[in-house]
Amino acid sequence: MADPKEVKRLKALAYEMRKKLINLCGNYDGIVHIGGDLSMTDLLIGLYHHGMKVDPRDIKSPTRDRFLLSKGHGAVCMYIAMSLRGYFDYNEIVRTYGQLDSAYGMHPCKIQLPGVECSTGSLGQGLAVAAGLAFSAKQKKEKHRVFCMMGDGETCEGEVWEAANTAGSYKLGNLIGVVDRNKQLMTSFDGDYMNLEPYAAKWRAFNWNVVELDGHDMTQIVDALDNLPPATNEKPTVLIASTVKGKGVKFMEHDLGWHAGALSKADMDKAMAEIEAGYAGERSSG
Amino acid sequence: MKVTFNFGSFLSARSVAGDTIVELGQKYNTVWALTADTGGALKEYKKLFRDRYIDTGVAEQNLAGIAAGLALEGNIPFIFGMIPFMVMRACEQNRTAICYQDLPVRFIGTGGGLTSGGGSTHNAMEDISIMKSLVNMTVLSIGDPNMVRDIMLLSMTYPHPLYLRLAQGKQDRMLYEPGKFEYKIGMGLTAREGRDATIIAHGEMVFEALEAANSLAADGIDVRVVDMYSIKPVDKDLAVKAVKETKNILVLEDHLMEGGLASTLADVFADGGVYPKKFKRLGIPQVYAGFGSGEELRAKYGYDKTAAAAAIKNMLK
Repeated sequence: MADPKEVKRLKALAYEMRKKLINLCGNYDGIVHIGGDLSMTDLLIGLYHHGMKVDPRDIKSPTRDRFLLSKGHGAVCMYIAMSLRGYFDYNEIVRTYGQLDSAYGMHPCKIQLPGVECSTGSLGQGLAVAAGLAFSAKQKKEKHRVFCMMGDGETCEGEVWEAANTAGSYKLGNLIGVVDRNKQLMTSFDGDYMNLEPYAAKWRAFNWNVVELDGHDMTQIVDALDNLPPATNEKPTVLIASTVKGKGVKFMEHDLGWHAGALSKADMDKAMAEIEAGYAGERSSG
Repeated sequence: MKVTFNFGSFLSARSVAGDTIVELGQKYNTVWALTADTGGALKEYKKLFRDRYIDTGVAEQNLAGIAAGLALEGNIPFIFGMIPFMVMRACEQNRTAICYQDLPVRFIGTGGGLTSGGGSTHNAMEDISIMKSLVNMTVLSIGDPNMVRDIMLLSMTYPHPLYLRLAQGKQDRMLYEPGKFEYKIGMGLTAREGRDATIIAHGEMVFEALEAANSLAADGIDVRVVDMYSIKPVDKDLAVKAVKETKNILVLEDHLMEGGLASTLADVFADGGVYPKKFKRLGIPQVYAGFGSGEELRAKYGYDKTAAAAAIKNMLK
């Protein structure tokens, strides 16, 4: 069972991260994919600050866990989670985000930003590349894991299921998929046109070990990460994390308009106040 | 494989590639062979190196992504497959997962041009145009089967994505004695000297060009043949030299006339202010070519040795 102190530490980090996201979004003269950033904030904190063996001072260490952000439009969320871990300077991210020649673009670029494992942004491509990393590690008998964060919307892509089929067939137990299951695509809700359910059954059918959890419950996130099967497992694992797009800011939650958006000063203040109130309420209740 | 060199006789380029990948697998533990259910040439390799062999079944996009992942970890993945699916089905993965990150993935594609025998679904008429438009991609087209080995060996020290277009792959004409030439990326070679005109060709069309040149020699016409196996980067110097020394240029290729080597050379000449007296291209017109052997289709669409000889005669009128 998750250590309550550790959960408390991670919750505080997630709170700080949400504020930093809103601050960046409010100060950037353009759109930010804020909805899907907020839905995976708790998961990224759990991964970068608890579950993954990574060291920002040794980004090429052969023994590090690998992380691929298949939902590349959530790059800024990853940059901030990494900055909180000591990889990057948050102020530099805010100052240069999306600017000419910045290392911090809308979609992550490995060449411009060392520490990023793979350049992504075209949806549905991450899991196959992650499988390639997992194949290499398995063949070399390396112990690390490969984590691949996907949005549920991008799992409409056929390549995801080609890769899922391969990873299941080749028993890539060192491959961990994480699905930010916020049940929204860019322009529709799950079920409006495309039915993603039965979602967990689909992964099981491809011979994956499936763990379902609440992607905003830090205790569940820590438990899921602590209890991952060993990298030598016969099946790859997918964490299907039920989340809310825009989580923490009521006027963004469940609103298709906030897949990506720009925040006015007034909205930024309102969003910040909600996040602060939410965190204060959580601390007083638990 | 022991090869008795006999000009114009057949050898399977696929089997040369299959033998060479075994040789590379033995020498380098970073070599992987990948295929989407077209691993016929990999029988020996997969027996020896089961842990560095991936067959994804018929799933080319996934295969390209896996190759990118392997290369990110310092491996050299060789993808074996049929050109249209390797190049077109996985086009965006080739671009974004492999070329954008400038990863040393090797694509060994068979069935170049109209040689597949499978009809328009399986013909490869757009591949050079598509692959050469990808930033960081290198494009080679090889006719002589023994050359495949040399190129695969030299690719081990080449740090970028590389596409090797083979012709049919089953029955390919031997053109050069092994060891006679040193092949390099960015270079072509003069397969036959000549003064009156130059045929610039690639892949199996080099043999057609040599045959055309031989037939024209009987009429006293002296034709140079350049094997432009490196299409991107292209050997500009060799092409310009041909213009300066022979004035007339015929480009002969088993690819759409738009977008292939002819287009590359037209760019080279126009941008460089080097103007051939006559410039003509023969290749596949804007059609889905249908069924037939490569030889039959080349004759039907007017880019075989007979058509090439006639075009040269016409040029020199």
